[in-house]
Amino acid sequence: MNQYHFHFSTIRLIWPSLLTAAALATALVVQPAAAEPDRLVVYSGRAERLIKPLLDSFQTNTGIQVDLLSSGTTEVVNRLHAEGERTPADLLITNDAGSLERARELGLLRPLTAPEIAAAIPSQFRAADNSWVGLSGRFWVVVYNTTLAKPSDLRSLLDLAEPRWKDRIAIPNAGSEYLQAGISVIKTVYGDDRTKRFLDGLKTNAGTQVYGKSSQIVEAVAKGQVALGVVNHYYVYRHLATQPGAPIAVLMPDQHEGGMGAIINVSGAGIVTHAKHVESAKRLMNYLVSEEGQKKFSDLNKEYPLHPLVAADPALPPYKTTRVAPVSLTQLGKLREPAMALIEQAGLR
Amino acid sequence: MNQAAAVKPAFPDSLSLAALAVAGLLCLPLAYVAYMALTANAAIWSRLWTTRIPELLFNTTALALGVAAGTLVLGVSLAWLVARREFPGRQIWEWALVLPLAIPTYVLAYIYSHLLGTGGPVESAWQVLAGPGSHLLSPHSYAGVTLVMTLDTFPFVYLLARAAFLNLNVSYEEVARACGVSRAGTLFRITLPLMRPAIVAGLSLVILYVVSDFGAVSLLRYQTLTYAVYQQITGRYDPTAASILSLLLVVVALIFLVAERWFRQRSRFFQTTGRYRAPARRQCGPLAATLATIYTTGVVAASFGIPACMLAMWSVSAVSSGAVDARFFGFVWNSAFLSGLAATCAVLIGLPLAYLASRRPSRVNLLCLQAAYAGYVLPGPVGALALLAIVSNLAPFWYGTAAVLVIAYVVHFLPAGLQSMEPALQQVTPNLEEASRSLGFGTAVTLRRVTLPLVRNGFIAAWVLMFLQSMKELPATLLLRPVGFDTLAVRVWLEASEEYYQLAAPSALLIVIMTIPAILLLLSKDWRAA
Repeated sequence: MNQYHFHFSTIRLIWPSLLTAAALATALVVQPAAAEPDRLVVYSGRAERLIKPLLDSFQTNTGIQVDLLSSGTTEVVNRLHAEGERTPADLLITNDAGSLERARELGLLRPLTAPEIAAAIPSQFRAADNSWVGLSGRFWVVVYNTTLAKPSDLRSLLDLAEPRWKDRIAIPNAGSEYLQAGISVIKTVYGDDRTKRFLDGLKTNAGTQVYGKSSQIVEAVAKGQVALGVVNHYYVYRHLATQPGAPIAVLMPDQHEGGMGAIINVSGAGIVTHAKHVESAKRLMNYLVSEEGQKKFSDLNKEYPLHPLVAADPALPPYKTTRVAPVSLTQLGKLREPAMALIEQAGLR
Repeated sequence: MNQAAAVKPAFPDSLSLAALAVAGLLCLPLAYVAYMALTANAAIWSRLWTTRIPELLFNTTALALGVAAGTLVLGVSLAWLVARREFPGRQIWEWALVLPLAIPTYVLAYIYSHLLGTGGPVESAWQVLAGPGSHLLSPHSYAGVTLVMTLDTFPFVYLLARAAFLNLNVSYEEVARACGVSRAGTLFRITLPLMRPAIVAGLSLVILYVVSDFGAVSLLRYQTLTYAVYQQITGRYDPTAASILSLLLVVVALIFLVAERWFRQRSRFFQTTGRYRAPARRQCGPLAATLATIYTTGVVAASFGIPACMLAMWSVSAVSSGAVDARFFGFVWNSAFLSGLAATCAVLIGLPLAYLASRRPSRVNLLCLQAAYAGYVLPGPVGALALLAIVSNLAPFWYGTAAVLVIAYVVHFLPAGLQSMEPALQQVTPNLEEASRSLGFGTAVTLRRVTLPLVRNGFIAAWVLMFLQSMKELPATLLLRPVGFDTLAVRVWLEASEEYYQLAAPSALLIVIMTIPAILLLLSKDWRAA
């Protein structure tokens, strides 16, 4: 009987294992095949609707199929890091220079010598070795509800920590790369103690109004759930473009004499070290920094184009007259960990 | 011959080894999280204790208890109403009260964040009555999240309580009545205490569901451990804090689970034999019937009717604006493919575990089966965190492929499947298989012609259940999806979290529509039995 049981169970075992193996093999096959020439895989930390139209127009122009993985910036950098040389990704696009710099330090991005890029994008907006290149600029601004607050209420981002704003502001969560970059800059300009006090005040004032996405903050301000919010400027102008009557406006902070200046950041892209389609990736990169690409980008997203010949949307505050905080984008990578330590100590969500 | 069969093999055979290996693999994520958390730097532990953990533990427990209280009241009162009272439309409501199970929490959450949100229809209506500037409860508050989760999960309690009301021997109640106890007194002193095991089982399902939910809390921005783990995974380069919070989450889930087991062991009731009579329904008077109808209609409308109508309306406008295109059908295919694969793998993996536990219930084999239940206390983000690390160390070529996602689904949903595979196998006596063998059929023929046909229904039910749960799964899918492999659930969440409610609607509606027949199918068996 034992013998029988043995056979019986062996058969019962073999079939399931074979089928399971077959099923998992099928799952593996459903992978973007690595060797196809006219195909690109893009990892993007930007919201899909802010980048896909541009990739679609590249696809139409060139016939190169672009597969997009759209997720959080830190998440895609982590993923790229974990995948190492097996990564299917060719191009990394993120919403933050600090994360790009971090990816460069991890050796995930490939240095580039491309005259097109050097001609199109001013050097302060890219890595020295072009392993990442800025695509669009954005300011970290205060959005306010015009019926609940007035522009004279606030001069500096640091005023947001004052007790009078208790329960009246909305902030991004601690995982947000803009917040991390913003705190990096504030910490560099004002030092640790001041930044800590700012973070504590911010945490108290925001209470439960902590959001995962900037678009939600703008929405909350527009609905009057809160009086103020800190967001990247373009979310406000995108909102106004679809709902022109919304009671919201932008306050560019820290513009006063002796003020820190507004915090700038860029979205950017870099070609992945282990990219399988380097030539196509370069073409996409050149397209993104070209006049056509930059124009499309700024029209779509209301960000500042970085190409000197492309004009920004006239509704935006002019870039030239804006006072900008004195921390270079390439520093943001190194500043990230210490800033993160302060954010975690304050216990921001 | 029986004796011979009972003799333990000297060496574990290949099936046992396979079961052991599978059980080990299923436990690996849990072990990994525990290892990461316990070997973490003490400084990180103490930072989390002073900053995040008290708030997260409080929020998670408060939500679990709040929803448990809400579902207890709703579930038991509705079950009592449909099981013990007769009123017009009772049979329809009896079915309709199960329908909220078809709506995933993230769908209900986004609909309620529109309905109750600032400037939403409910607040506008309220401001007409109470004057401008007045607010009702915010969906983004403790009360709001509790309401949404209660509306979504009360059917668990309702179903079990209803079965208990119907199966209870009325003799107990009659004795109480004969001794002069009032109707209400009988209900609270006899009937409800006798139903305790059923109610506790329902509540423990609800609590585990709430503790591991990601969809509703993320869309309503309510900070629980599960949500915090997800935020840590996506917002940090260092996964240590995420694994510490994960371990806490697992411990919280385990505490609830163990408490439930302990409670059930202590309060085990048995029907005495003989004289069983089913309880009769009392006819309601016109006033009571009206009240009962208002109550049940209200609950069904709030938990299913209104949300389904909103989805249908939004879907119509999304379709007319061209949102349902080839890409959308790609998402449908991705969902169906992944869930189908996961359900199939899970049935095949569960088979040897369930088979051994029922045919050769040795300590090792039973332990293997218990180990497979580890996925129960492994909420989506926790499983994803562990799998990401395990796969990148052990099987790096699988990283970022659909295989990882399928494994995540299997680990997480196998327990649910086993619960219907196990009894199916147990009901087949081994004598039938032996009879078939003694009549000269080979092993393969016996398997094909005797065992499989007998367990088929239980296995189909398990497959359907796991398919549905995989299709609705959100956090692990968000974290593990391969390039260009979004599922319907992912699309709903991505669109809804940017408040593009109409764009989210077609995917959400499709999930609901696909789920309803399956729920009715799964229930019809229990239903007839009850």
